[in-house]
Amino acid sequence: MGPIEELHIQFEEDLGKATSLDQLKTVRDRWLSREQGIVTAGMKKLRELPKEERPSFGQAMNQLRELVESRLEATRAVFQAAEESAGRKRTDVTRPSFPYPMGAHHPIRQLQQEIEEIFVNLGFTVLDIPEAETDYYNFEALNMPRNHPARDAQDTFYFDDNLLLRTHCSPVQVHGMECMQPPIRVVHTGRVYRRDSFDATHSPMFNQIDLLVVDEGITMGDLKGMLAAFLTRMFHRDIRMRLRPGFFPFVEPGAEVDIGCIFCQGIGCRICKQSGWIEILGAGMVHPKVLRMSGVDDSRYTGFAWGMGIDRVAILKYGVDDIRLFFENDLRFLNQF
Amino acid sequence: MRISIEWLRDFLDLPEDLGRMRQELSMVGLVVESMTETDGGPVFEIEITSNRPDCLSHIGVAREIAALYGKKLKAPPVSRVLRAAEERIPYSIEIHDPDLCPRYVGLVFDGIKVAPAPAWMQRRLEAAGMRPVNNVVDITNYVLLERGHPLHAFDFDRLRQGKIVVARASAGQKMVTLDGIERELDDQMLLINDGGGPVAIAGVMGGLNSEISSGTTRVLLECAYFLPVSVRRTSKKLQLSTEASYRFERGADWDGVVAASARTSYLLQKYAGARIAGSMQDVCPAPIVPARIPLERAHAERLLGVSIPSDFIESTLKRLRFKPARKGRGKWLIECPSYRADMELEADLIEEIARFFGYQNIPATLPPSKRVGAHSPVYEYEQAARRILRGLGYSETMSLSFARQEDHAKFPLPSGHPLEIRNPLTEDTQSMRGRLAPGLVRVARHNFHHDQREVRIFEIGKTFARMPDGSVDERHTAGILGTGAWSGKNWHNPAPDYDFFHIKGAVCSLLAGLRCAPFEIVPAGDVPWLDEAESASVVVEERRLGVLGRLHPGLEGELKLKQPVYLAEIDFQPLMPYLFAPVSFQSLARFPAVDRDISIVVPKEVSYSEIRKGILGLGVETLASVDLVDVYEGDPIPPGKMSLTLRLVFLDRESTLTVDRVQGFSDNMRNFLREHFGAEGR
Repeated sequence: MGPIEELHIQFEEDLGKATSLDQLKTVRDRWLSREQGIVTAGMKKLRELPKEERPSFGQAMNQLRELVESRLEATRAVFQAAEESAGRKRTDVTRPSFPYPMGAHHPIRQLQQEIEEIFVNLGFTVLDIPEAETDYYNFEALNMPRNHPARDAQDTFYFDDNLLLRTHCSPVQVHGMECMQPPIRVVHTGRVYRRDSFDATHSPMFNQIDLLVVDEGITMGDLKGMLAAFLTRMFHRDIRMRLRPGFFPFVEPGAEVDIGCIFCQGIGCRICKQSGWIEILGAGMVHPKVLRMSGVDDSRYTGFAWGMGIDRVAILKYGVDDIRLFFENDLRFLNQF
Repeated sequence: MRISIEWLRDFLDLPEDLGRMRQELSMVGLVVESMTETDGGPVFEIEITSNRPDCLSHIGVAREIAALYGKKLKAPPVSRVLRAAEERIPYSIEIHDPDLCPRYVGLVFDGIKVAPAPAWMQRRLEAAGMRPVNNVVDITNYVLLERGHPLHAFDFDRLRQGKIVVARASAGQKMVTLDGIERELDDQMLLINDGGGPVAIAGVMGGLNSEISSGTTRVLLECAYFLPVSVRRTSKKLQLSTEASYRFERGADWDGVVAASARTSYLLQKYAGARIAGSMQDVCPAPIVPARIPLERAHAERLLGVSIPSDFIESTLKRLRFKPARKGRGKWLIECPSYRADMELEADLIEEIARFFGYQNIPATLPPSKRVGAHSPVYEYEQAARRILRGLGYSETMSLSFARQEDHAKFPLPSGHPLEIRNPLTEDTQSMRGRLAPGLVRVARHNFHHDQREVRIFEIGKTFARMPDGSVDERHTAGILGTGAWSGKNWHNPAPDYDFFHIKGAVCSLLAGLRCAPFEIVPAGDVPWLDEAESASVVVEERRLGVLGRLHPGLEGELKLKQPVYLAEIDFQPLMPYLFAPVSFQSLARFPAVDRDISIVVPKEVSYSEIRKGILGLGVETLASVDLVDVYEGDPIPPGKMSLTLRLVFLDRESTLTVDRVQGFSDNMRNFLREHFGAEGR
């Protein structure tokens, strides 16, 4: 290391110790003052050197002087700004922000969106189908002819003999088979209606999701696999699930699907009535008559269908204790979502 | 269905652990909803789905338990002989309508002493939810609950002629049923007649005229099979549902009629002093054959997705009392029990196999996806609209889609008539909503009542109308409501009250965000539910696709809202073709834009849109935009006039605009405004 590099290091140390404009002035004087400045003194040494060393030494000293000057100036600017800002009024950043408005997302709509997204990712087409439905789509084509006792479970609002308010989203099965050839994967979410009085657990209107899969070689194992895939995505974790035999006229075999209680992890609590299980949806293999009625060859194709109440999932997911809250639209309720 | 555990024990030995049995039963499809203790011991409340009428009885549930645990059923005692030693009471049975009554079994007793039934029987009936009456009635009910087959006992002495005639009623015919109500019948209803007139509505309820009374000594016992749809139709039409009709309409055991008679005969002889006085007559004009369904193991495996041994298939079906006849390797013809009304197709048999194989033993697989998924076309529009409106501070609501009559009176439909519900529940469900506005106002009121007077909400959903040709119009509609302070008032936000220009802003931002084709907001004085002085239409390519404005002050007063409420309604469906206009990129201008503010004084009646259209109509190509930056009325502006400050932005894509050119343009515009609107410069 030459004498000039040593001087440079020494200067940086000196500069690093300065913490105010005053101290910076002292540093400047020490290095650049006309009489005793270290750089000035160095330049004076030039004359004492042999002639051949003078040009390179002079060049180096000049570089050092320029460097010292620019470093001092930059540091001065920083100190100057700091001193100026010290005198300025501060913003109280703890005050409330400008209230940009934010609308609330209805909890059922959120779920509906999530569910549709999951199924689109699983290769389903979301169909837009009517709520004022004909007897054929709501009952007949789903193997519930007139005078079928299963109609009792779905007390129906009628507009006239043939037109009614759909009691479930299952008509999507019939519409799906009409507008598509196998392989079919269709889903629909939306409002359904039953003649139930409005109370904490009943509403004349609620929301469902129904789907249909029809293809060659679709099995009940596929139904289970798709259910597991859906439930995992829906609840964002692995969910215990069990299928029990159940009855819906449009499927055979039919199943009731329970999930392990998400509140007590299956130990037993008030929500699952101490059973550890919560009934969440109905499903099954599409009834051969339903396939045939919609023109699908039941010797070649099989399929499955399922239906689930969205409000019920919302009730479970958010612990809402009264279904009416979803449709009253109290802002104190909506703003929580 | 209430099932007494003690009663079940008549048929088989039950496992010790009833809780476990309850779990295991639910895994084969019999859901025990609750288990309660009664005077008659523990009782299971079992949910029986409409396809399993055979389980609407103790013996039916016992059969399932026996199949589940591989146990044998014990048979309760019956009368072995159903013939009278001597025919003391001759009687006859005629079936005129075998299509509705394929089989009718009769048996006549004498020597009956009507008294209370034995205590154990009363206890069991009560445990199962039935009220004891007397020994004869209780015994028929007991057999009903035990075997699931409805029976009816007639007081033989009250039959006008000693015969039973099964025939359709004539239209308008009347009879008084056991409950004392006179019922009007139609010609599709099946009656039991005694030769002199009706004595029962077949499969539904007996008549008051032939009821068992304390003095009854001779009884005709009916045990028949009636067509399910016929009983159901009658029961629905008369709004009369009984234990009998509930079972017949789901399908009774057509071959169980003799066994049920034999059991009843045993109990009547033992507990009511009965003796057979008229031999059993089994009239069967339309014999029923058992269902025989071909079954292939390969089909079961194809549907279930798991390999199932032939042995398992055979043994399961045998346990359930089906009769499998082998028709080759992995193939059978299955004869179904007469009580399994639900057996029709191979899939029905496969379900039987599956539920005993255990749904839990079917491995889960994921079928390959062969198509790309897609949202419905309306989804992307509605979803974008929802996001924009939420971002603008409006909360999404979801109201019931119903409307009251008064809603339609206050907020008339845009076209067609209200879609009326024929069987409403209450006045709240009289018809379907024709607009979103009434529901939004209802939500605002609800929130006002809970001290929330700043309400900004929207709903996107369907509205309904019955069109003149009878069709139903179901359309996607968007509605917006705003009222109260614009947004949370705080130290940084003076929060002016919500007014027309807020709702207009919501509509314009929504349409801009949806990249709507050019649209206009023009005055509208013809919307009956909006304030005539503050209402407008949304017009796209000369089509009116929405309205907005202040709720009519009359309605505001009537609904006691106590503050102005602003609403917008947009017909989403016809708007869709105008949305998401394709973007065609325009290169960015290389030269700076120049703005000029000009202030003019004009009469108050002059509308901004006239001024704006006039200026834009001058054909100044470099005029990039016009905006209204200030409106002022009052001193020193003369009364009847107002001062407007317009901001004009000029931009030439080809060259830098000189001050002189801009001055020239704005001078032209001032001259134009002076000539057309009497505008004076300021």
